[in-house]
Amino acid sequence: MARDGTPAPRDRPSSWPSRLARPRRPAHPVLAVAIGAGLAVYAWVAGSAAPFSRGAFLAVLIPGAILALLAYGRPPERIPPPEQLDVPGTSYWLIVLTAFFEWEASAYKDNSWPWHPSFTDLINPLLGPHVVKSAAILVWMLAGWALVRR
Amino acid sequence: MPPIPTRAITIIGFVVLVAAMFALEILARRPGSRIPTVGQWLGYLMRPKLGRFLILLGWWWIGWHYFAR
Repeated sequence: MARDGTPAPRDRPSSWPSRLARPRRPAHPVLAVAIGAGLAVYAWVAGSAAPFSRGAFLAVLIPGAILALLAYGRPPERIPPPEQLDVPGTSYWLIVLTAFFEWEASAYKDNSWPWHPSFTDLINPLLGPHVVKSAAILVWMLAGWALVRR
Repeated sequence: MPPIPTRAITIIGFVVLVAAMFALEILARRPGSRIPTVGQWLGYLMRPKLGRFLILLGWWWIGWHYFAR
């Protein structure tokens, strides 16, 4: 503990236990299972839509619209954001993210595919199998829900 | 030893950067870490309404980019 009463870095709790101690789930486990099953079925159906089709567009538009309505109409209980971020700690993220986008941008410069493929060029073939694409859609929807709670 | 193709260098670069992101997230979750987790810095960016809108728009764009195209 620091002299001014603020917890020293070593005194700060880890992010893991707090998440585990306060799970945010629907009140009824049956409801949680039903929602999970519904999302899985939706992801499976959405994953079967052909690229550039109306179905594929709707499959992405519907979760976006629902989350937008939830975010602005009936927002769920939100996880309190930090008052401020540690600048040196955050700089690690900035360095890695900047390097990532620079690496990605250099793929578009000079239209250098296939010598310097973009991240999308590398990911798209991996999303070819139906089960992989459906799983990715499910993760994307859960990430959206996690963002709405932020 | 044959030279490493440019394509392989590109892929290695992406793998290293994505692995670095996972490593940062793991380090951020250690007790006493000064590195924020993804959720923490995203939550910080989403404090203003404009930040919240842009982050959610970015999430939707990722879905459209990878799953609708």
